[in-house]
Amino acid sequence: MNLRVLISLGAWAAWAAAQSYTPPKTPWGDPDLQGIWPGNMGVPMQRPLSMGDRTALTDEEYAQRVAQAQRAAAADNEERAPQDARVGIGPPSYWTERGKPTRQASMIIDPPDGRIPALTPEAQKRRKEARGGLGDPAEWAGKADTYEDLNLYYRCITRGVTGSIIPVVYNNGNQILQIPGYVVIRNEMIHETRVIPLDGRPHVSPKIREYMGDSRGHWEGNTLVIETTNFTDKTSIGSNGVGYNGEGGRHSNGLRLMERLTRVDDHTLHYQVTIDDPATWTKPWTLLIPLKRDDHYQMAEYACHEGNYAMKDILRGARAEEAEKP
Amino acid sequence: MRIFLKIVILLAAGIAAAWGQNQAYRAPRSFDGHPDLNGIWQALNTANWDLQDHSQAAGTMWETGAIGAIPPGQGVVEGGAIPYLPAALEKKKKNFANRRTDDPEAKCYMPGVPRANYMPYPFQIVQSPQGILFVYEYASANRLVNMGKPEEAGSDTWMGTNNGHWEGETLVVDVTGLNGLAWFDRAGDFASDKLHVVERYTRVDPYHLNYEATIEDPSVFSKPWKINMLLYKVADKNAQLLDFKCVEFAEQLLYGQYTKK
Repeated sequence: MNLRVLISLGAWAAWAAAQSYTPPKTPWGDPDLQGIWPGNMGVPMQRPLSMGDRTALTDEEYAQRVAQAQRAAAADNEERAPQDARVGIGPPSYWTERGKPTRQASMIIDPPDGRIPALTPEAQKRRKEARGGLGDPAEWAGKADTYEDLNLYYRCITRGVTGSIIPVVYNNGNQILQIPGYVVIRNEMIHETRVIPLDGRPHVSPKIREYMGDSRGHWEGNTLVIETTNFTDKTSIGSNGVGYNGEGGRHSNGLRLMERLTRVDDHTLHYQVTIDDPATWTKPWTLLIPLKRDDHYQMAEYACHEGNYAMKDILRGARAEEAEKP
Repeated sequence: MRIFLKIVILLAAGIAAAWGQNQAYRAPRSFDGHPDLNGIWQALNTANWDLQDHSQAAGTMWETGAIGAIPPGQGVVEGGAIPYLPAALEKKKKNFANRRTDDPEAKCYMPGVPRANYMPYPFQIVQSPQGILFVYEYASANRLVNMGKPEEAGSDTWMGTNNGHWEGETLVVDVTGLNGLAWFDRAGDFASDKLHVVERYTRVDPYHLNYEATIEDPSVFSKPWKINMLLYKVADKNAQLLDFKCVEFAEQLLYGQYTKK
């Protein structure tokens, strides 16, 4: 595991970059990671198979990615949706944050092919049998007998630790605050706060299970290392229930996250997370999300549940549809 | 001479005693030289059931037995009564009658200010160079108090726009931009989106924080009024906030009528 992290190219890049930069210190002497670090990244989670172990785009591939982002931005600014557009519950597309394209090939930097590792046989079986064969709650369009048919995001319960930080279409704000003995990470959507002790105290009892897990942090040089355990088996790695880009993301309650936060220059914080869940994936996998500092970003109050008209309307719509059927 | 000495001693003792009484508790200092409010705090009163004086009473559902009953409590409102305008008092009574389904707490909505501070759940103050963050266990609510140049409220929110400053040993937080959808307690006390709250936090000894809030809303109250209470430090060695993500406990109440029968 340590060897894997050491030899991983992304980890090496972060390490190498961090060597030439010394972050400022808090008044009490900890490396200062404070600020607002919104996710803003036009990089896919997984790498196309054709790219193999290559971690950076060529000039040509990069130009394609930029052009694609420009086309998306142009479409976002259209006043009207195209006639054949799928009806959704999303906001108008000019709200969306597409993220800035970079040369990073994929968020996944380990395994070296940038792909989510294979599911264990146990996890394949679990996924197949979930909800009597329907699978884990995903998109609302599937089935809406009850609120439990929708995923935790649609229910405005949580997006979990990784789901709260992987950049999505909007409200990607993250803020770090520090006081002696603690680091605090806030995620704008869905108003999550992790207050992380640095005093070396043990985790809470394994009987206590939490959507956001139980986090403990410590410093390794200028890197903040956070270990999180005590998860439930209800959340997923991506924010949208089943997973990310259609790939499976639901983990077991044995999930252990190792996050590594390193400032590599005044404006960049490397957020790296290793997902280790032997009951779900055949090996650990690691994401690298470089976060850019934005002092002018305003964290909104994301009152998701309080304004969840969608839930009521999805259920009512499904009942109305049933009533119409003979 | 001995009498003179006695007088001097008595005088000195008297001055010392008076000085001791007037000498306010000096809290440990934070990184910024101000009193250190960091820690986990919780109210130990019945304000969340009713801000005003109230006797014991039955709860809304006999099925929960004594567990759902209302504990008796002395009020935290200065002067005893909330100065409602007549129409608002009628609304408060209606709120109380419908509290089982209408109290935003039953729906797991964000608690608003000041209610967040005296719910029966702990909260943590994080006094950082980025501002003073209040992290509430209930519903994962939070609010960041801006300690820099005061910011004008944008759109209304549940937890408000919070601007803070120090007045000696006291943290003063001015809260505007509240949406007025939160209640003050389970008794149906409420305000509108004209609500303006000024809070004062003062450490009075190592384990207690005095909390005072002035509540102003000319569309609901005939004059501003104040609540005052102590917040207690949760000093257990292993104290930490845990998940109380209560949405899933409110879904059947909110959506049960729309599920497939």
